[in-house]
Amino acid sequence: MVHSARDANHIPSVPDRNTEQYGGDSREKVMADDVVDVLIVGAGASGAAVASSLAETRMRIVCLEQGGWMNPAEYPSNGRDWETRAAREMQTSPNLRKRPADYPINDDDSPIAILNFNAVGGSTILYSAHFPRFHPSDFRVRTLDGVADDWPIDYGTLEPYFAENDNNIGVAGLAGDPAIPAHEPPLPHIPMGRMGEAMGRGFNKLGWHWWPSDSAIITRPHNGRGECLNLGPCNAGCAQGAKSSADIAYWPANERAGVELRTHCRVREITVDNRDMATGVTYFDADGIERHQRAEVVIMACNGVGTPRLLLNSTSARFPNGLANRSGLVGRNLMLHPWGMVAGVFDEPLASNFGPQGCCILSQQFYETDVSRGFVRGYNMQITRGVPPVGTARGGIAQGTIPWGDGHHGAFDRLFGRSIHLGICCEDLPEEHNRVTLDPDLADSTGIPAPKISYTMSENSWRMLEHGLARGAEAMEAAGAKRVQKASSPLRWAGWHLLGTARMGTDPERSVVNEWGRSHDVRNLFIVDGSVFVTSGGVNPTTTIQAVALYIADSMKQRLASLFD
Amino acid sequence: MARIIGTDNPLSDDQQRVLAIVLDLIIPASEDGQRPSAADVDVLGYIRESESHTLDGLRAELDQLDAEAFESQGEAFTSLDPATRKALVDAKREREPHFMRTLAMQTVTCYYQDDRVLEAIGVGARPPFPQGYEVPSGDLTLLEPVRRRGKVYREP
Ligand SMILES: Cc1cc2nc3c(=O)[nH]c(=O)nc-3n(C[C@H](O)[C@H](O)[C@H](O)COP(=O)(O)OP(=O)(O)OC[C@H]3O[C@@H](n4cnc5c(N)ncnc54)[C@H](O)[C@@H]3O)c2cc1C
Ligand code: SF4
Repeated sequence: MVHSARDANHIPSVPDRNTEQYGGDSREKVMADDVVDVLIVGAGASGAAVASSLAETRMRIVCLEQGGWMNPAEYPSNGRDWETRAAREMQTSPNLRKRPADYPINDDDSPIAILNFNAVGGSTILYSAHFPRFHPSDFRVRTLDGVADDWPIDYGTLEPYFAENDNNIGVAGLAGDPAIPAHEPPLPHIPMGRMGEAMGRGFNKLGWHWWPSDSAIITRPHNGRGECLNLGPCNAGCAQGAKSSADIAYWPANERAGVELRTHCRVREITVDNRDMATGVTYFDADGIERHQRAEVVIMACNGVGTPRLLLNSTSARFPNGLANRSGLVGRNLMLHPWGMVAGVFDEPLASNFGPQGCCILSQQFYETDVSRGFVRGYNMQITRGVPPVGTARGGIAQGTIPWGDGHHGAFDRLFGRSIHLGICCEDLPEEHNRVTLDPDLADSTGIPAPKISYTMSENSWRMLEHGLARGAEAMEAAGAKRVQKASSPLRWAGWHLLGTARMGTDPERSVVNEWGRSHDVRNLFIVDGSVFVTSGGVNPTTTIQAVALYIADSMKQRLASLFD
Repeated sequence: MARIIGTDNPLSDDQQRVLAIVLDLIIPASEDGQRPSAADVDVLGYIRESESHTLDGLRAELDQLDAEAFESQGEAFTSLDPATRKALVDAKREREPHFMRTLAMQTVTCYYQDDRVLEAIGVGARPPFPQGYEVPSGDLTLLEPVRRRGKVYREP
C-alpha cells in the first residue's frame, strides 16, 4: 500500500483514499502498482494550480511532494523572538536551511544563489506574494525588440487564466493601472502606508509611473481565510494564512475535490517505455522505501531548477542525455532576474516596518524597451517595507550607522521605521550557457544528484541593473530620503525566480515543450512550472507561472480524447 | 544584571562581571530610563540557546580582557574606572574586530527582542501574530497624475 502521508496538525479534509469510505470503486484504490490517470510531481505554486483545474475531470490525480505540510501555528511570527527564528528556520537557501526535505544546490558558479522552499506549497511558503503580471510585450520580445524568441502564446491567451487564478487564491490590487491591460483584482489593494505615499509623491515629482502592487494576499476574508494583519514577516511564513501560498490557497480545496497528495515522497526519475511514453515515476516514500508509481500522464512542477534536475536524471537507452532532451535544451537558458536594491532613510517616522514585507507599490516606468537607455527590455521597481528591529540594529552595527555607547539609541531611532527599500527586478534574457546540470559529486539524502548552476550576467543585464540602481536612487531622493544607499548588486541572495530551463515553443529543435506544455519527445509528459518560460519578463513571475499552469491544464482538458496524438 | 548570573551559568563570576560591563558599553540604558542597558537583558541566555558554539571564544576573550587590564593597569578590569575600561574595550575592538563585532551582533539580536525594548520602540511587547498592526490604506488621489498620463505599456 502506498504510504498515507498526512502530517500531524493539518486540518483534515478528504478521507484517506485507501479507506472504505470511498466504497467499492476499485478506481479509487491507490495501490503501489496501480496506474493513476495523472501524476503531478511537486506541490508548489504550479503543481497546485494544475491539480485544481484538472480535478473537475474526476480523473484519478496523485501529487508526489518531497516535503510535508507546514503548520502556520509554528511560524516564527507567533513568538516574540520571531526575527531569530526566521533567520534560523526559514532561510531562503536550501544549502543553509537544510531541512530534511531540502536538496542541496551547487550554486558556487553563479553570482546569484538559488532560493526555494520544499514543502506542500513549495516556494510560496516563503514568497513575498508580489503579484504583477507579465506585460503583453513580454510574449513578443523577438518581434518588438529583436532579441530572444517570441512565446508561442500571448497575453490574450493567458488573460482568463490570470483572472481565474486571482479568484482562486485571492489577489488584492487596484483596478486601472495604466501599465498593464485592464483587469479587476478581486480584493481591495494592500495598504500603502505612509511609506507608500512618500514614494508615490517622489514618483509623481519625477513624472514616473507607479501603482499599488497586485499582491497574492487577502485584504478581506476570502474562501474562509482571514484577512492580512500587516504582521510584516511574510517571508518567514504567514501565521494568519492571509498570504496566498499554495498550501493554504489551493491544496485544501484540491484535496476536497479528490486529488491525492502524498507528502514526503521524493521522485528520483521519470520512467519511459520503448514507445517514448512516460510510464510513471520512481520515488522514495516517507520511510525511504523506493517505489514506482505508474501513470497515464506525468506532469512536472518542481520549478525551474527541480524539473530539469529530474529530467536530466531520467536517462535511458532512448534518452541518454536526459528525458525530453532531444533538443539538448533541458537545463539551458536559465533566467534568474538579477536584482538590485536601493535603500533610503527618511527623517520623518513612516512606520515602514509594518505591513506585508514585499508588497506596497511598484513603478513600471522603465519596464518597456527604450534603446536610448543603452539596453533592451526593462525592469520593475518594487517598493518594499522597512526593516524590523533586529534587522535594523544588525544592519546599523554592520554599516557603522548605529554606534556603540551613548549614541546608540538615537541612531537606532533615526533608522527604525524610517527606511524604505526599492528592489530592481531586471529582465534576464535567455542564454544557453546559463544552465542547470547534474553535479557529479553532490547528492541529496537519497542519493539523487544535486543540481549544479552555471550562470553569468549578460552585458545587457549589467547595463539594465546600473540604470535601475541610478533611477532607484533618484526616486528615493525625490521622495525625500536623507540618506540613499545602493546595495552591491546583483544581490546574491536573490535567486527567487527560476525560469526558462525547459522552454516552450513550436519547434522541437528549439524548445522542450510545445505551446500547450507537452513535451515534444514524450507525448504524455507535461511541464507546468517556470521552466517553460521563453523569456523572463521583468516582474516576479508567479502569477504568470500559475496562469500558464491553468492554461496548460485547460488545454489538456480540451484535448482529452486526443491528448497523445 | 541579575539575569545573567545564575548557578548553571557557563561563565565564571569574574567573566560575568566583565561581560556585563562590555554589554553596557555596547548599549547603555537610555537617558529616559525607558530602555534598559544590554547588561540587563539576557544576552548570555540568547548566546547559549542560539549561538552556543561561540561560548568558548567568549570565555577566552573575557579572560583576556581581564588579563590585559592587569597587565596595563595592574588591576582587574572590573575595578577600573569607566573611561579606562572603555579605552581597553575600544583597543580590543581595533585589534580583534571579529570577536567584538560578533558580540555586538549577538547583543543587538537579543536586545531588540526583549519586551521592555519592544515596548519602548513602539512595536509592543508581543509577537506580531495574532494582533497585527494598523497600516493606513494610503491616499489614492496621489495617483491622479499617473491616471492622467494614461497607458504606458506596449500593445504588440
Ligand atoms: C524568498 C522568496 C520570495 C519570493 N517572492 C516572490 C514574490 O514576491 N512574487 C513572485 O511572483 N514570486 C516570488 N517567489 C518565487 C515563487 O515562490 C516561485 O516563482 C513559485 O513558487 C514557483 O512555483 P513552482 O510551482 O514552479 O515551484 P515551487 O513553488 O518551488 O514548488 C516546487 C515543488 O516541487 C517539489 N519538488 C522538487 N523536486 C521534487 C522531487 N524530486 N520530488 C518531489 N517533489 C519535488 C518541491 O519540494 C516544491 O514543493 C519567491 C521565492 C522565494 C524563495
Ligand atoms: S503581513 Fe499579511 S500576508 Fe504578510 S505575514 Fe502578515 S498577515 Fe500574512
